[in-house]
Amino acid sequence: MTWANLGILGLGGLLLLVPIVLHFLMRPKPKDIVFPALRFLKARQQSNTSSIRIRHFLLLLMRCLLIGLVALALAGPSVASADFGNWLTLGGIGISGLLVGIVALLAWLRPSKNWLLIGILAAIFLGHLVYGTLSASRLLNSESAQLLGDDQAPVAALIVFDTSPRMDYKTQNQTRLQAGKEIGTWLISQLPAESQVCVLPTTNDRPFFSVDVAAAQRRLETLEINFSGASVPGALLDGLQILNKATQERKEIYLITDLTRQSWGDENPRALLKQLDKEPSTNLFVLDVGVVDASNFSLTDLKLSDVEISQSGRLSISTQIQRQGSAGQRSIRMSIEKPDPPLPVVRNGRSVFPEKNFDGQVVNKDIREEGSADLKFTFSQPLVKGTYHGKVEIEGEDGLAVDDQRFFTIRVGNTKRALVVHPQDVNPRIMQSLLAPRDKIESGTAKYECDVMPQSNFIGLSDWSQYDAIFLLNPLPIKDTDWNRLETFAAGGGGLGVFLGHNAADGPLAHESFTTTAAQRVLTGALQQQWYSEDSDVFLSPKELTHPVFGLVRTNETAVLWNRFPVFLHWGIEPDQSSEELPTQTLLRYNNREPAVIERLIGAGRVLVMTTPITEYGFVENRNSWNALLTGNPLPAFMLLNGITSFLVQRDVGSLNVKVGQAVSFSNDPREYPETYQVFSPAAQKPPSKLNSDGKLRYRFTDYPGHYRLKGIFNEQVLLRGFSANLDLSATDLTRIGPDELDSFLGHERYQLARQKNEIVRQQGTTRRGTEFYPLLMLMMMVVLAVEYLMSNRFYKG
Amino acid sequence: MSVEKYLKPSVINQIKRLDLRAKFVVKGFLHGLHASPFHGFSVEFSEHRKYSHGDDLKDIDWQVFAKTDKYYVKKFESETNITGYLVMDLSSSMGYTYQQELSKFDYSICLAAALAYLMVMQQDPVGLVTFNDKIRQSLAPKSKRTQLGNVLSLLSKLEPDGETDFQHSIGQLTAMLKTRSLVMIFSDFLVDEEQTLNALYRLRHGGHDVILFHVLDEAEVSFPFRGVYNMRDPETGDELKIDADGFRKEYTQQIEEFRDNMARQCRKSGIDYIPLDTSMQFDKALLEYLLSRRARG
Repeated sequence: MTWANLGILGLGGLLLLVPIVLHFLMRPKPKDIVFPALRFLKARQQSNTSSIRIRHFLLLLMRCLLIGLVALALAGPSVASADFGNWLTLGGIGISGLLVGIVALLAWLRPSKNWLLIGILAAIFLGHLVYGTLSASRLLNSESAQLLGDDQAPVAALIVFDTSPRMDYKTQNQTRLQAGKEIGTWLISQLPAESQVCVLPTTNDRPFFSVDVAAAQRRLETLEINFSGASVPGALLDGLQILNKATQERKEIYLITDLTRQSWGDENPRALLKQLDKEPSTNLFVLDVGVVDASNFSLTDLKLSDVEISQSGRLSISTQIQRQGSAGQRSIRMSIEKPDPPLPVVRNGRSVFPEKNFDGQVVNKDIREEGSADLKFTFSQPLVKGTYHGKVEIEGEDGLAVDDQRFFTIRVGNTKRALVVHPQDVNPRIMQSLLAPRDKIESGTAKYECDVMPQSNFIGLSDWSQYDAIFLLNPLPIKDTDWNRLETFAAGGGGLGVFLGHNAADGPLAHESFTTTAAQRVLTGALQQQWYSEDSDVFLSPKELTHPVFGLVRTNETAVLWNRFPVFLHWGIEPDQSSEELPTQTLLRYNNREPAVIERLIGAGRVLVMTTPITEYGFVENRNSWNALLTGNPLPAFMLLNGITSFLVQRDVGSLNVKVGQAVSFSNDPREYPETYQVFSPAAQKPPSKLNSDGKLRYRFTDYPGHYRLKGIFNEQVLLRGFSANLDLSATDLTRIGPDELDSFLGHERYQLARQKNEIVRQQGTTRRGTEFYPLLMLMMMVVLAVEYLMSNRFYKG
Repeated sequence: MSVEKYLKPSVINQIKRLDLRAKFVVKGFLHGLHASPFHGFSVEFSEHRKYSHGDDLKDIDWQVFAKTDKYYVKKFESETNITGYLVMDLSSSMGYTYQQELSKFDYSICLAAALAYLMVMQQDPVGLVTFNDKIRQSLAPKSKRTQLGNVLSLLSKLEPDGETDFQHSIGQLTAMLKTRSLVMIFSDFLVDEEQTLNALYRLRHGGHDVILFHVLDEAEVSFPFRGVYNMRDPETGDELKIDADGFRKEYTQQIEEFRDNMARQCRKSGIDYIPLDTSMQFDKALLEYLLSRRARG
């Protein structure tokens, strides 16, 4: 609690003596008169004397109270706004205690005393007194109470600036970022001199206090939209840490945001709440620069028919246009860029990109209010081998432009080749039909070329490198030299799929050729015994479906009833996951927790091992069937196999189209590609960076949506590669956070919400100087004055 | 200004001679009666008759003589023989006034004088008795005109003094009265209420008509005091320190109850009770007397 004029309080204390002195010492001298009817007065003398004393006491009390309130009001007490409610409660307790005390005193002054009542009232009064004293002491010593006072004292200010893509929303010819900067600049300029200021965008940057206020202004002015930043709670947590190190005692946090829900992420609010609770004296202001009824068109993620197509192949792209706000009509254009070497290049400090496109496609759509419409584009033109960038974009003006474009990158190259290897007693048709369906071969649109050969021929084949992937279906025992060849094939970037079955058995155990060291390097571990399930109660049980192998399974997750496809027999294997050289993980398990599909990365390639075959077509003669994956309607098995084959044949396709902020990694065979690249970011003002290959290309800085172009020289020729990064659809969701949700992060009544400068000034004043009691005290004074007037008129009527 | 002004105590106070006071009061009262529903009371003389030997010379109407050169005397319509006693409380409390022109005693004297005047005018015998702790003086009733002078002379000499013993004094009076009389008592009755009433009952039981003129000071009725007072009873000498503001309501309530109770008890026993205070005009008391006289006639 602070006082504007503490001296007046002392003076008021002295003035309180005036009515008391007047009451006790300056009593009027009685006038002597004769009065014959004295006997009528005698009868009421006692009760009248008590009544007179009570009246005098009440009037004295009222007058003392009046002087006390005047002195208190003039002394100008103020308390921390956060404590104002507590002080009001304390005031209520005080008034209640005073009333109880008065009633107790009146009961005591009465001629007929009820001691029980007096005792009870006195006990209640004492209770009030003790509780009030303790509460007042606690409030006076609270940390927030210590920092009130001069509102021009320097502060340590943390300005957390929401730089999410949503802040790019434009209204009244101004983006939210610009509006926020305007308020932020004004805010910094009116901070008291010598203040420490930290401007912290939501970018995962390390927070720091600027050298001076001017430096903070400059930092604020340079802030830009950030596409892969932190959430607001994350930035606040970071900022609170540096605020703790500030030398100024008074600390203030200003959060400039559009209050969209996405800015607050999916984080548990408790961490921030806990941290804010630790700093009760730190004032928090939320400056809302958002728009309540935003309207926006946006495109959903693109679905490409394929990211790696043949030179004669076709491409189809599907997406959706969505509308937030009222209905509207828009044209949507799909275009694919024509490579134009030597572009991209840097001219005048800016990257210049190819501008010519192949013939694109435009679709017009009417979109309902808060509705969406499906879009489908097709492209069919002969392309030469290489990497191509394209985009789908909404034409025309929109509030938030950043989600009006979706980028994609495709690769055009030779058709991938796969080899299916099978023993004589295993029918390879399932795998063949998955890789190269007959009708597709006939129409020339098959994605892969597929060769099938018996295992004996395969072993004799000298060059496996012509194939991109090899599938060993229920293989017979393999010699170590051949295991080594398989490992070399994989290390060279090939995909190897091994589907183990009865041919690997030697009696109940695994054939020794499947347990050698060379075999274990490929098979991820030593093959152990066969697991047999007599009751058909073992089946595949996918848990995490994040791996590309489960692409189709993931989209139909709820429709797949794996328990209808029991696995009667499978190999037990203990994957060796300790080797750093050969990273290994179990992608899929049976419901008995045994591994079903294991992935091992070998060099530039990868191996997938499945511990039960995928070639058991119902009844099998002379032996037990291993599973029923292909019985009935074997859709789940097809989805899984489709994922496995695509994953093994198409290397690195997942890296051509990523989300902003996601790291990119794809192979870079030095026999085919340069070892050094220049990386041109979509931000033309950003200078190209250098990227070296170590057999793989790794790039982490996908911080803008758009095309990332990799330019290198190979055999004295410009060679272009690249990929596309897109914003996650949720990143441009303009739905605003509700008051309750905001409270859950920042605490109820823990922060001040403002939209205008004058609101900020008022709230700053309130929090720095505290809330003043003057109006309340004046009101109480009026009430006491009125009561005193009424009492004196009633007591001395006529 | 009409003669009715003399009904006001403040005006009558300016007249020092008691006989004139009485005359003016009665004249003012009678003047008021002419315009009132009480017009026709027997105090008016109804006719003249020829003077005959033995008539009082004072009854000769000299205005008629001047006009007719013959002697005529006034003849009153109602010739009765109501014997009236004016009983005057002499106790020291009667000498009290706070802010009025007349003390209770002065007011009572004026009223008694006016009544004596009126009675003598009607040729009623009127006597006077004074008392405090006992009967102090008495004047036997007579209807002669000279009786008025005697009564007024005695009244003008009276001074309030001593304590009241109402029971004893009225007991003495009761024993003293031989014929049925109209007893008009002037007192503040600031004595024991029960004893007072008992004495009055006995008086009434003796066949006498009683009119109580309960005279209080205006301050004793309205209690206009403000602030702290040290009050002293003039009879007992008792003192009481009070804050008058806190007493007013309860005091006025008590006085009202006291007067109401007196009125109620008097009504039960056929006593006329007339509450007066020293700010009131005299006509109320005089009218009460006439009403009582008519009832007896």
